[in-house]
Amino acid sequence: MISQFFVLSQRGDNIVFRDYRGEVQKGSAEIFFRKVKFWKGDEGEEAPPVFNVDGVNYIHVKVAGLLFVATTRVNISPSLILELLQRIARVIKDYLGVLNEDSLRKNFVLVYELLDEVIDFGYPQTTSTEVLKSYVFNEPIVVDAGRLPPLGPAAMFMQGTKRMPGTAVTKSVVANEPGGRKREEIFVDIIEKISVTFSSSGYILTSEIDGTIQMKSYLTGNPEIRLALNEDLTIGRGGGSIYDYASSAGGGAVILDDCNFHESVHLDSFDLDRTLTLVPPDGEFSVMNYRTTQEFKPPFRVNAFIEEAGAFKAEVTLKVRADFASSVTANTILISMPFPAYTTRVSFELEPGAVGNTTDFKESNKRLEWGLKKIVGGSEHTLRAKLTFSQEFHVNITREAGPVSMTFTIPMYNASRLQVRYLQIAKKSKTYNPYRWVRYVSQANSYVARL
Amino acid sequence: MSGHDSKYFSTTKKGEIPELKDELNSQYKDKKKDAVKKVIAAMTVGKDVSSLFTDVVNCMQTENLELKKLVYLYLINYAKSQPDLAILAVNTFVKDSQDPNPLIRALAVRTMGCIRVDKITEYLCDPLQRCLKDDDPYVRKTAAICVAKLYDINAELVEDRGFLDTLKDLISDNNPMVVANAVAALAEIQESSSRPIFEVTSHTLSKLLTALNECTEWGQVFILDALSKYKAADAREAENIVERVTPRLQHANCAVVLSAVKMILQQMELIISTDVVRNLCKKMAPPLVTLLSAEPEIQYVALRNINLIVQKRPTILAHEIKVFFCKYNDPIYVKMEKLEIMIKLASDRNIDQVLLEFKEYATEVDVDFVRKAVRAIGRCAIKLERAAERCISVLLELIKIKVNYVVQEAIIVIKDIFRRYPNTYESIIATLCESLDTLDEPEAKASMIWIIGEYAERIDNADELLESFLESFPEEPPLVQLQLLTATVKLFLKKPTEGPQQMIQVVLNNATVETDNPDLRDRAYIYWRLLSTDPEAAKDVVLAEKPVISDDSNQLDSSLLDELLANIATLASVYHKPPDAFVTRAKSAVQRPEEEEYPDGSETGYSETPSHATDAVPSASGSASAAPTRQVPVSPPPAAAPVPDLLGDLIGLDGALVPVEEPMTPSRPPLPVLLPASTGQGLQISAQLVRRDGQIFYSMLFENNSQVPLDGFMIQFNKNTFGLAPSSPLQVPQLLPGSSAMALLPMAMFQHVFSGPPSTLLQVAIKNNQQPVWYFNDKLSLHIFFTEDGKMERANFLETWKSLPDSNEISKDFPTHVIKSMDATIEHLAASNVFFIAKRRNMNQEVLYLSAKGPRGIPFLIEITAVVGTPGVKCAVKTPNPEMVPLFFEGVDALLK
Repeated sequence: MISQFFVLSQRGDNIVFRDYRGEVQKGSAEIFFRKVKFWKGDEGEEAPPVFNVDGVNYIHVKVAGLLFVATTRVNISPSLILELLQRIARVIKDYLGVLNEDSLRKNFVLVYELLDEVIDFGYPQTTSTEVLKSYVFNEPIVVDAGRLPPLGPAAMFMQGTKRMPGTAVTKSVVANEPGGRKREEIFVDIIEKISVTFSSSGYILTSEIDGTIQMKSYLTGNPEIRLALNEDLTIGRGGGSIYDYASSAGGGAVILDDCNFHESVHLDSFDLDRTLTLVPPDGEFSVMNYRTTQEFKPPFRVNAFIEEAGAFKAEVTLKVRADFASSVTANTILISMPFPAYTTRVSFELEPGAVGNTTDFKESNKRLEWGLKKIVGGSEHTLRAKLTFSQEFHVNITREAGPVSMTFTIPMYNASRLQVRYLQIAKKSKTYNPYRWVRYVSQANSYVARL
Repeated sequence: MSGHDSKYFSTTKKGEIPELKDELNSQYKDKKKDAVKKVIAAMTVGKDVSSLFTDVVNCMQTENLELKKLVYLYLINYAKSQPDLAILAVNTFVKDSQDPNPLIRALAVRTMGCIRVDKITEYLCDPLQRCLKDDDPYVRKTAAICVAKLYDINAELVEDRGFLDTLKDLISDNNPMVVANAVAALAEIQESSSRPIFEVTSHTLSKLLTALNECTEWGQVFILDALSKYKAADAREAENIVERVTPRLQHANCAVVLSAVKMILQQMELIISTDVVRNLCKKMAPPLVTLLSAEPEIQYVALRNINLIVQKRPTILAHEIKVFFCKYNDPIYVKMEKLEIMIKLASDRNIDQVLLEFKEYATEVDVDFVRKAVRAIGRCAIKLERAAERCISVLLELIKIKVNYVVQEAIIVIKDIFRRYPNTYESIIATLCESLDTLDEPEAKASMIWIIGEYAERIDNADELLESFLESFPEEPPLVQLQLLTATVKLFLKKPTEGPQQMIQVVLNNATVETDNPDLRDRAYIYWRLLSTDPEAAKDVVLAEKPVISDDSNQLDSSLLDELLANIATLASVYHKPPDAFVTRAKSAVQRPEEEEYPDGSETGYSETPSHATDAVPSASGSASAAPTRQVPVSPPPAAAPVPDLLGDLIGLDGALVPVEEPMTPSRPPLPVLLPASTGQGLQISAQLVRRDGQIFYSMLFENNSQVPLDGFMIQFNKNTFGLAPSSPLQVPQLLPGSSAMALLPMAMFQHVFSGPPSTLLQVAIKNNQQPVWYFNDKLSLHIFFTEDGKMERANFLETWKSLPDSNEISKDFPTHVIKSMDATIEHLAASNVFFIAKRRNMNQEVLYLSAKGPRGIPFLIEITAVVGTPGVKCAVKTPNPEMVPLFFEGVDALLK
C-alpha cells in the first residue's frame, strides 16, 4: 500500500508531504527528485512513471507542472496508484478551482484534510468530491486564476497528458461565490484528440480519435440528467481487425471501437435509444471515454515539398489546407519540421498578405516552427523556406528532414460526429432552468505527415 | 474565512515558539485555531514544534471538527517522540470514540491507530471493538483499516482480542465500502503472516462478487486482487467467475480494468473450451487497447503488462498491431515499450507495414529510440525467415544515409542475421565494408571484425581490412581486441599466406606480451599453442560450424513468465521481475523501538554504532580482530562451491590512478597479510574488508620490499557470493623500494554475483606495471555486510520468528568462546550491526535475542545462550535464507572471539 504521498514543484520543492505508514525514510522526496532529474537509463533520458530505488517504489504523474508522487514498499497495483494520483489532482482542483503551486500552498490545511479522507493507512478510500464534501470542513481560499503568472515551462507538462487537461472552468465546486448563491450551471464538453499519420504520398496510414465526454456540474441538489447521443451509434466492430474499413465504409453511422463509462452512469436505456442517465456528482469527471478508428475526414491536409537548389541549398514548401466548413475556425496552430543537422541558415517567405503568422528556425534542434493564430475552414496557407547547408547532403534529403507534425485546437468541431442530441435536467420546479453548456473541441494528438 | 493559509508560514522576529504558545492558550477560539494552523505549517516544513505538545493537546477537547483534525494531525506526528505526554491525549480519544457524531468516532479510532505508542495502543482495543460494530458504515470502514494498523504494531494483540474474526464478519457487511476495507485489511494481514488467516472460499467468493458491483472503484481493485488468489475448483466455476468479472472491463478506471484482466487470465488457465477462451480473448482486446488512450503514465504500465500477455497469448492482440505504432508525441518510455510489442506482434502478414514504421522511426531525432528501431528491424529479420530479405534491404537503405550511429547499430544486427541465416546474405558484405572507417563504438567494431574474420575467404582484401585495425590494437577496448585476435587467426587459417602470417605474429605478440588483460592473453596462448602444435586441429576448433542463433524477442523463460502473469497489474509486471526481487520489508529502517526495559548499556552501544563502524569493524575490542587468514574450525564453506575460473572472469581492467591520502590511525590492528613478500617478489599485500558509515571498503596495505619502484596498481575481484566489486578504481601511488601505502577501496555489492552455493571465498587479482599478476584469496565475513538498519522492533522480531518454519532454525555451539559480560557483548555486537532486542534469564543462563540484516535485506534472528564467564556459547539463528547460515556462523565466530 501507499507509504507516502507528496507533491513537488518543478524545482523539487516539497509542497505537500504526507506519510501514511512510516516505513519509507523521510528523505524520499529528495531521492525521488534527484533520480527523475538526472535520469539516465538504457532507454532514453526521461524517467518512466514507475521505478524502484533501494527497495522503495516511486510512482509519479505530472499534472499542471507539478509532480504527484506516491512511494510504496509492496508489490502494489501501479495503475491503481497512477489513477489515484490523477484523481487526487482532480479533487484538489475541484476544491480549489485552480491547481498550481500557489493555490496548494495557500490551502495546505484543506489539502491535508482532504488527503486524510482520500487515503487511510495507504489505502484509497474515496476520490469523489461529492462524498468528500460531507467529511471535509475547511473552506477553500480561492486563488484568482486571472492574476496567475503564465505557466511558462510548466505548460510543457500539460501537453503530455492525453486526456483533455480539463475544462476552462476555474471555479471551485465547493466554494460559494462572492454574493452568496452559486450560479446553477452545468458544463458538458465533448473533447476529441485526433491522431493521423499521412504517408509521403498523402495517403492516411493510421487515424484514431480518443474522445471523452467531460462533465462539470454546479447544480444544487444533484438532479438526474439524461444525455442523448447519436441514435445510430454502434459500439464494437465485430470480428476481425478493427482496421477492417470495409465494415464501416459508407453510411453515416458513428462506430466506436470501444468505450467506457463513469460509475455514476446508468446504461439501462443505452442499448435502446443511446441515452445515458446519471446523477452527476459534484466535481469534474468523464462521463464516457471512447475510441474510434473509423474512417473520418482529417481536418487538415499538410504537404511538404523539398527541392534541391544546388549542392548546399534546398527549398522547402509547406502547404496546409483546412478541410472543414468555413463557419469553423481553428486556432493556435503550430507546424514544425526537423531539418538536416547540417542546416545552417533558413530564410522564410510567407504569402503576401498573411497575418498572424510566426516563423522560426530553432537552431538548437534544427527545427522549423510555423505558428498561425487561426485558420478559417476551407482556406489554404503556404510557407516557403530556403535552407543553406554547411556540407553537401547525402543520398536523399527527404530521409534526413521531417516528418511534419502539427498541433491545433478546433472549437465547435468534432471529427467523429458523435453528438449530444440533448441534455435533459430533471426539473425541480417550473422556474428552474439552469445554464447548460455543451461544447465541442478537437485537438491534435499526434498529427504527422511523413516525407 | 479571510486571509491565506500561507501567512502561517511567515515568521516573526520575536521567538516563534513562545509566541505560538501564547496564542495556543488564548481564550479566543479563532486565535487558537490560527495558532494550531501555524504549528502545523511549521511542522510540514520540517521545523521542530514538539515543545508545544502540551499546549496543542490542550486544544483537543473541542467540538470544532476542523480544529480537532488539526490537533490529531499534530499528534500523529509527535506522539512517538513524546510517548509520555501522548498519554495525556488518551482520555480525549476514548471519549471521542463514543461521541454521538460518527465522524468524531471514526476520527478517534483512525488517529489512535496511527500513533505507534504502546500506551495508546493498549487503550485502542476497546474503542476499536465498539467501532467495528458501529451502526454507521463510515465508522466501520475506518475501524476495519484500523485492525490492519494495530496488527502492524502488535499482531498478538489483534489475535488475542479476536479482531480477526470480527474483521472476517465484516466481509458479509451490507455496506460495500466496509467489505472492501475489510478485504484490504485481511489481505495485508495475510501478507505478513505465515498462518492461513484469510483464504477465499467459495462462500466468500460469491459474497465478494456481489459486493464488487456496488463498491467504489478502489474497493473493486481490492476485491479483484484478493479474488485473484482464488483457485476455482473446475472449468465450470472458472467460467462463472469470469462471467461475473467481465463487466469490469468496461470501467473507466484503468486499475479496475487491469485487475479484471488479471483475474480473467488466471481463470482462463482452467477453462478447457477453446471457444470460450477465444471469446474471452476477443472481449479483452478492446479494453486493453483503450488503456493506450489514457495518460502516458498509465499507457506505460499497460504496455509493460501487454508485453507479458502477448508472450503467453499472442492471439489476443494479433490484429491490433497498428495501435502500437508510435505517436509523434509519445514520451520516450512509451515509444520504447511500443517497439518491443511491435516486434512481438510482427508476423508475415503485417511485416511490410511494420518495416515501414521502423524505417520512419530510424530517422527520428532521439538517438536511443533510433538505435532501438534499427535493432528492431534486425530482430524481425531473425524472427521471420520469410521477411529477412526485406528487413535486410531496409537496413541497407538506412546504412546509405550514413548517419553514424545508425550504421553502427545496423552492423551489429546484421552480424546476428548472418549467424541466424548462414551462407545466405553474405553478398551485402561489400556494402558494409564501405562504412568501415566510420565505426567508433566497440560493439559495432567488434561485430564488423567478426564478419571480416568469419567470411575472410570471400572478402578479397580481408587482410588489408584487418590490418587497418591492427595498428590501434593496444588502445582498443577488450571486446574489440578479442574479436581482432580471433578474426586474425581465422584469416590465417583460411589464407595462410605471407601477409596474414605476419599479422598473426603481431597480434599474438600484442595479445600475450603487451597486454594486461588475462582473458585476452589466455585466448592468445591457446591459439598460439594450437597453431604451433597442430594447425589442422586449430582449423577444427576455430572454424567449427557455429550453432544457429534464434529469435530472442520472447526473452522471458516460461517459468518466470508464468510467475509474472500471475502478477499482472502489479509492480512485478512493470519491472518484469518476480516480487521477491524488489520487495523488502524494511520497516526497521525508520522505526526505532520504544522498549522501556531497554538496557542502558546497549542503548549507548547502539547509538554509538556509527562511530564504531568508522573505526573498522574489529576495533570495539582489540582481541576481536577477525583475521581472515585464520583457519575456521567449524562449518567450512560448502565444498561443492566450484572455484570459478578466475581468468575467465577478469575482464575490463581499467581505471585512472590517483594517489590516496588516507590517514592511518595507529590504534587500528594490523591488517592480515594475504600476499607475503616471499610470494610476491618483494611485494607484500595485507588487506581486509571493513565497514564504515554503512559502506564496505577494502582496506589495503601495500609494502614494497623489492628493489624496483612499483606503479600502475590495479585490482580485480572474481565473481563471489555477494558480487562484491570495487566501485571506483584502486588508487595507489608509485611505491619506491622500501616504502608502503594504504588504500581504502570503496566496494559495491551485487556486481558480478557468483551464482553457486554461498561461499566465503573472495578471489583477488592485483597487478602492477613491473610484476606478473598476483592472485590471492580472502574471506568474506558476513558481519561486514550487516546493515545499520538491521534493528528489528520487538513485535516485528517475534512475528518474523514465528512466521519462519522451524526448519529454518539452525543452531551451533561454540565450545571455546567465553562471554565475560553481557553488556559488553551487546555493545560489541551492536558495533557490527548485530542489534540487541531483548534478554532473559533461564536458570543461570543468559539468553540474548538479537537481529541483523544481511545483504539483500535478508534478516537474521539470533538467539545466543551462554553462562557468563563459562566457556561455551550456543547460537541459534532463524532466517528465510538458511543457505546463508554457515556463512553467518563464521561471522559470529569471529565476532564472539
